[in-house]
Amino acid sequence: MYQEYSIQYSAKNHYDTLVNDAYWQFLIIPEDNESQQLVSWEFSNSLHDVNQTSINGFGFKTIRVHPGQKFNDISFQASFTVIKKETNPFDFSLPHHNKADYDKLEELNFQVDFEPFLRRTSLTRLPNTYIDMYTFDENKTIFENIQNLNGWVSEYLSFKPGVTDVDTPLEEIIEKRNGVCQDFTHLFCAVVKENKVPARYVSGYLHQGHGYFGDSQMHAWAEVYVPDIGWVGFDPTNNLLANTNHIKVCHGKDYKDCSPLIGVVYAHGANTTSHTVKVLSEQQQ
Amino acid sequence: MENLGNQIFSSYQRNPDLFDEIFDKDGSVKDVYKTLFDLYGGHSIQDYVRLNEKAKSSFFNQGITFQVYGEKEAKEKIFPFDLFPRIIDTNEWDIIEQGSIQRSRALNLFLWDIYHDKKILKQGIVPLELISSSDNYLHQMIGVNPPGGIYNHISGIDVIKHTDGDYYVLEDNIRCPSGVSYVICNRTALKRALFGVFNHYQTHTVTNYAENLLDLLETTKPKGVDIPNTVVITPGMYNSAFYEHSYLAKTMGVELVEGRDLFVENDFVYMKTIQGPERVDVIYRRIDDQFIDPLEFRPDSALGVPGLFAAYKKGNVTLANAPGTGVADDKAVYTYMPEIIKYYLDEKPIIKNVHTYHCSRPDELKYVLEHIPELVIKPVDEAGGYGISIGNRLSKDEIEKVKKQISEAPRKYVAQPIMSLSVHPTYIDQNESFEQRHIDLRTFTVLGKDREFVLKGGLTRVALKKGNLIVNSSQGGGSKDTWVLKE
Repeated sequence: MYQEYSIQYSAKNHYDTLVNDAYWQFLIIPEDNESQQLVSWEFSNSLHDVNQTSINGFGFKTIRVHPGQKFNDISFQASFTVIKKETNPFDFSLPHHNKADYDKLEELNFQVDFEPFLRRTSLTRLPNTYIDMYTFDENKTIFENIQNLNGWVSEYLSFKPGVTDVDTPLEEIIEKRNGVCQDFTHLFCAVVKENKVPARYVSGYLHQGHGYFGDSQMHAWAEVYVPDIGWVGFDPTNNLLANTNHIKVCHGKDYKDCSPLIGVVYAHGANTTSHTVKVLSEQQQ
Repeated sequence: MENLGNQIFSSYQRNPDLFDEIFDKDGSVKDVYKTLFDLYGGHSIQDYVRLNEKAKSSFFNQGITFQVYGEKEAKEKIFPFDLFPRIIDTNEWDIIEQGSIQRSRALNLFLWDIYHDKKILKQGIVPLELISSSDNYLHQMIGVNPPGGIYNHISGIDVIKHTDGDYYVLEDNIRCPSGVSYVICNRTALKRALFGVFNHYQTHTVTNYAENLLDLLETTKPKGVDIPNTVVITPGMYNSAFYEHSYLAKTMGVELVEGRDLFVENDFVYMKTIQGPERVDVIYRRIDDQFIDPLEFRPDSALGVPGLFAAYKKGNVTLANAPGTGVADDKAVYTYMPEIIKYYLDEKPIIKNVHTYHCSRPDELKYVLEHIPELVIKPVDEAGGYGISIGNRLSKDEIEKVKKQISEAPRKYVAQPIMSLSVHPTYIDQNESFEQRHIDLRTFTVLGKDREFVLKGGLTRVALKKGNLIVNSSQGGGSKDTWVLKE
């Protein structure tokens, strides 16, 4: 069973003064992996400059734009067609409670191999006063604990756009208990790592279900390495396991490794930027 | 025999607790310095004052300056140069040279390992925490094969001579070590002022550094490149080492560029020239990791080249030193250098490491607790000199307090013997006399694909303030020409 998605990404930038030189890097191309296939894609910019593809530091495909002319306005349009396997997120045998899995977390080899995703970053380090805010119950399996945590995070924070940004410290998010998908994901990853389980930040698109056509942003969720199972996707914003509606672009330690758009713009004065993302499934088109 | 008839040294005072590089304990002059001592002896201190002025103007004329930050405007200053040279004989030099190569090679293998198989971590020889707590460990470098297999093309290894007469390494600098231009300029200035003296010794040249550097950098050119195009990239003229950047570019005969002079297209690096874009293959970069590419690292960096890291990752350009080398010149990694050298080369360190007692190991803990007055106690996780206790400066009560702290959390502490830098006769302007001052030595080692080069000489830095152990140029230090003798 397959599901086909069409994704439209667009960004518009306006600068009050003329821009002499600029570089942009887009990290928005859905990755090819076991559960999804990128069938086709297109990218264009309003200045009709040549786009280049490259990779970021973690090997994920990027699009680069470097206009050869001065400008005040530039817009970007991308469209992707992705086939997603209709998967059952529970498509693995749930392990019985197993002490060996917890022992695995203590092994040096394991800790060395997963160092990048066990490391606390500035965005995924629990403040000292909250270090024990959620501890795993060793009478339950690691998977059960993470599932429970997924539910706990989705309850602990309220979804509220506009109150946080990419630089809001985790402590403030924990105290104010508001945020968007990035904040849910950072808090979730921080707790998972605090419990010695590897976690990584995932950036991608979410198909928001039947009948939903509204504009939206890119989505964020997490992948957790569960011994005996492997990487499993959790969406703490929606208290879901990542499923057919989650189209992955890339992963990293936190948002900073996954910024969908990085711009280096040589200009003075104010600027405005807007993005829109639409994800449509085949049936809806 | 005590400095008899030598005007210049008539007021020289020897502190018997310090290791003097030219006088033995009984006050006699060491063999290698005898000729020098006699030649200086034929002059008066007034002659010396004149020579010193001449040397200063030589530095002005050569344009050798450095900048001191923290004042309202950065000021160009001359790096104080002392006319009394340091001499290193062949036997001692062999130890320094072989030891520097050994450390550089071991560090290169260590870097390869921690960015690939991580065996040394998995076997528990170097604790994982050293890597996982380091901001200089770049995950972007995991699995990347640097061209020619070289990470630390240029290593600046700081060595001192202790009161026991042996050399010890204090630090390995493998990010962007600087100072080599001073080595060459010190030689020029000394020859101008004192050619008659210089001529009495068979001294190795230091002016071959640039050609060897270029040669070895180019052995690590990217695959498929025939004749590489090499450039030096600088953060710009406001950087404290700008003089050196321009000096090295000039003497290597390559372009000195800033970030805005380069651009990346389809993962290849080009230089903007009047004739159009010109491909660049090897970059000697004097910009820190976090600033080399605003698309990959700090987005606010105006110094770097957008897209440079991807070009590097794809193997289309060589960066020297490689990104991510900083993780290995960390103070905590230093304490594991004997283990690192043993692990990769199956050798003992040729130049000693300052011995480090890890209080996490029970037998070493016992030794530390019994010998506090002879040791420096350092917390493992504090940077910048915080929480350091120097044993011989502690009162009885303080010693007990330190013992208690260590016993409560042994894992948090390491201890090292108290090191003392050797002293060298140094001309002190305001007193118009020669006095003992502490010195160290920075050596410069270059690794190429299957060859290496150590500059036969080095930067002897001298702490101009009496009793001061800090020899950095920004802290009021000066330097001396360093003569490495031929057979």
